[in-house]
Amino acid sequence: MKQKTDVQQGTLALMVLKTLEVLGPLHGYGIARRIEQISGDLLLVNQGTLYPVLLRLEQEGAVESDWGASENNRRARYYRLTREGRRQLQTEVQGWSQTTEIMARFLSAKAEELS
Amino acid sequence: MRFIRRLWARTRNFATRSTGDRRLREEMEQHLALQTEENIRAGMTATEARRQAILKFGPVEALRESYHAEEGLPVIDTVLQDCRYALRMLFKSPVLSIVAVLTLALGIGANTAIFSFLDAVLLRSLPVKDPQRLVKLGVEDWGGITDSFACTELYSYPFYRQFQRDNQVFSDTAAIMSMMNEVHGFVDDRKDFERINVQTVSGTYFQTVGVSPEMGRVINESDDSTEGAHPVVVISHAFWKNRLGGDPAVLDHKIKLGNTVFNIVGVAPAEFFGTKVGEAPDAWAPLSMMRSIPPGWKGRNDNFTESLYILSRLKSGVSLEEATANVNVLFPQILRSFPDAKLTQENSERLARTRVPLKSLARGVSYLRNAYSEPLKVLMVIVALVLLIACANIANLLLARSTSRTRELAVRQALGAARIRIIRQLLTESLVLALAGGALAITFAAFANRLLLHMISSGSETIPLDVSLNLRLLAFTVAVTVSTALLFGTLPAVRATRLELTSSLKTGRGASTFGARTPLAKALVISQVALSLVLTVGAFLFLRTLNNLSHVDIGFNRQNVLRLNMDSSVTGYEDDDPRLKALFREIEGRISSLPFVEAASFSAFTFSEGSWNTAINVPGKLFDRRVNVKHNSIGNDYFKVMRIPLVSGRQFGPQDTATSPPVAIISEAMARNLFPAGSPIGHTYSLGSPDGMTSPVEKQVIGIVKDVKFNNVAEPQDYIDYLPYTQHGWGFGDFEVRYTGNFAAVAAEVQQAIHAIDRRLPITNVTTLDEQVARSYSNQAIIAQLSAFFGIVAVFLSSIGLYGIMSYLVSCRTGEIGIRLALGADRTEVGWQVMREVVLWIAAGIVIGLPVTLGGGRLVRTMLYGLSGSDPFSLAAAILVLAIAGLAAAYFPARKASRVDPMVALRYE
Repeated sequence: MKQKTDVQQGTLALMVLKTLEVLGPLHGYGIARRIEQISGDLLLVNQGTLYPVLLRLEQEGAVESDWGASENNRRARYYRLTREGRRQLQTEVQGWSQTTEIMARFLSAKAEELS
Repeated sequence: MRFIRRLWARTRNFATRSTGDRRLREEMEQHLALQTEENIRAGMTATEARRQAILKFGPVEALRESYHAEEGLPVIDTVLQDCRYALRMLFKSPVLSIVAVLTLALGIGANTAIFSFLDAVLLRSLPVKDPQRLVKLGVEDWGGITDSFACTELYSYPFYRQFQRDNQVFSDTAAIMSMMNEVHGFVDDRKDFERINVQTVSGTYFQTVGVSPEMGRVINESDDSTEGAHPVVVISHAFWKNRLGGDPAVLDHKIKLGNTVFNIVGVAPAEFFGTKVGEAPDAWAPLSMMRSIPPGWKGRNDNFTESLYILSRLKSGVSLEEATANVNVLFPQILRSFPDAKLTQENSERLARTRVPLKSLARGVSYLRNAYSEPLKVLMVIVALVLLIACANIANLLLARSTSRTRELAVRQALGAARIRIIRQLLTESLVLALAGGALAITFAAFANRLLLHMISSGSETIPLDVSLNLRLLAFTVAVTVSTALLFGTLPAVRATRLELTSSLKTGRGASTFGARTPLAKALVISQVALSLVLTVGAFLFLRTLNNLSHVDIGFNRQNVLRLNMDSSVTGYEDDDPRLKALFREIEGRISSLPFVEAASFSAFTFSEGSWNTAINVPGKLFDRRVNVKHNSIGNDYFKVMRIPLVSGRQFGPQDTATSPPVAIISEAMARNLFPAGSPIGHTYSLGSPDGMTSPVEKQVIGIVKDVKFNNVAEPQDYIDYLPYTQHGWGFGDFEVRYTGNFAAVAAEVQQAIHAIDRRLPITNVTTLDEQVARSYSNQAIIAQLSAFFGIVAVFLSSIGLYGIMSYLVSCRTGEIGIRLALGADRTEVGWQVMREVVLWIAAGIVIGLPVTLGGGRLVRTMLYGLSGSDPFSLAAAILVLAIAGLAAAYFPARKASRVDPMVALRYE
């Protein structure tokens, strides 16, 4: 059986930002579904944990939210990326890709390279 | 940036108490609805779809908690929560809380009060511009007038002028009269005199200290140019407000002193009280007018009439050392340049030896500092010890209480509360307790300050000292409060949370575990006893000192004498004016004829009012300038009023007039040690040294009287001679009346009789001679009273501590005692066992406290009189008091122990 992992808050926040960038304004459930789809149901143990992250991002000014109507005409809170959020996403993506690149290089290193 | 934005949002949420609870609920609802729909689409039944959705969403309560944690300020939230809980706990045991808060209020309040005096007298800087750059020539802060050669404390006006011109190290130099003059004057055309404290200053004074006027102008250099030509004063803010009603047209008012009318030219700012701490002039006048303040004061142009302080402001970049060097180059130069300098070989040698020390004037000049710095430091230690004892007491109370809360704490830990969280909770309780005590302490300190100020002030006038609450004091109080809370709270908190859960939960009330914890409680009680010993011995030492001082043989009879001051300068007569002497004679005659009056007399001094002293030259004896004789100018009945017995010769009488040969009466010690063998009656001697700056005055001895004390009761025997005021003028001074009957009635009649002769004469300081003598050791009296008070508090607190811990132990051991009694133990024996334990603790406390006490006794030995710091009586008495108080405290628990009913005790278990 595949082990589910609870992601760190910071990582989850980055995923939320990326999702909003790609898909535009979205409600909480939509974001949760999207993250699950991409990570193959591996990441979110409890979908609820998403909401404190959204609140925090909103307090930081990275996202905005407002009530709107969902696909089937329900009242739903939609989250939208702000300019500040875009900037934040950019820096964090840069940081991440740098880290992963370094890690990848390091992990694929051969014995002779390290000696 | 992100952090700040977030903090702002959180603070806003916290402040507005807005919670996103509703929003979260709505979002959750919506989320679940969407998920359920999707699950139904995937083929589940409606119920199952909803169940799966909820499962997938996760635990709602945990989510809400973390959501709220993101939302507000959780740290403050828990602190507030802790505080609320703490308050509930305090209200749950109100008696204990009230005792603790009151104890703390007393302890912290006493510390704040004493510290506010320490701050005002010893620590605070003058409220002037850049006080650190101000220096004063000379370090001893004498007040007075001298003609001695090469004096480094007091300076003449010509010296000041020369020094001001020649020095290279000061940007400003000022001179100020070393004494403040209490004069009586009239505002405008008012009929009643005002008592006005006038400080005469050089024209540069305000410029030097850097004080600008609140209104009008300050005294400037042109006011100090020609003697007698500039009758101007700057008045204090308080004088303006209190005596002139804050009149905005204050500059139109005039003040008449003697025969001179002064214009008010300015008002000093409210915070400026001059450069002497504990004295606040009502007005400042230029030194050019010193002949009028007090009227008849001479010597502005004399090179060797030395009565001024010299104050200077260091030029920027000049150090104190450089300044001192420059001053010591100028000092001998200026003195030698005076044409009337008597440069005898001895004087020249003295000048070569003399160094002028400089001292910082940042904190001003203060006689209070000299008199009270030691007592204040001792009191500070005393109140700090009292606070420590109070802390020990409260720590013990908390310890006992936390023991009874063992179960509660165990339950909370078992439910998952972190130990640090519980310690924080307990510390919050201590802090709340301490803060309540601290808040009460501030009120208490304000009251204590007024009381203390009243105690150190002699007579009705309180010393103008600002001891009101300020930021520094508040910071001190808060710091003391918080450290107190940590001091008494930490140990019990740490102790209380260190427990083995299972046993605590099992034993219910957790009584039996106390046995393991008593070492700490015992240590606290023993240290309380030790500290109490220090304080009690101190109290006895100071009380005995006071007792010794009040029983010193002072040589005169201090009972039944009324004394008052009468300012005769308002008459406008000079000191030597025969009309003034006729007035004195008339008043003496009129008062003496009153039915309840035995005798009445004027004198320059009575007791502890300063002195006029010189060396004397006796033909046939080697001149010694180091031997000083104090002179008193008196009326004919002075010895009768004071009951100073005449040993031989005669007293002054009507035959001693301004024109008859100058005569003197000398004290026994003076006759014995300063005159050749044989009776000195008929011998002549002269006042002043042969090479002094003023010519010696010759006197013939006509009588010898018994020795008396002059300045204070503890001084070694002084040499004193008496001169008749008919031959040696002394314008304003004391008037003494020996009376019988009621003081208040006599005082009223005497004042009435004086005013019947001249209604203008200002009469002040009407009191008894007894009171005046007692005032001379008032600081010892204050120390004795306060140390006795705090000694009692300490013993009382320690007794409560002993009682508390002992009753707790007894109630914990009820079961054990019950068993022992059931097995046939003797009831008295059980009681004695409790007593024995207390005696052991007290003994341990005394053994530990004894070396500390002896060390402390050595430190205060200069403040004691007639006994040493290790006075065995004080030690024995203190130990006795402690033992009695301790045993009294132990009696009730012991009795309780001996009355335990075995049946009840065993059933209770």
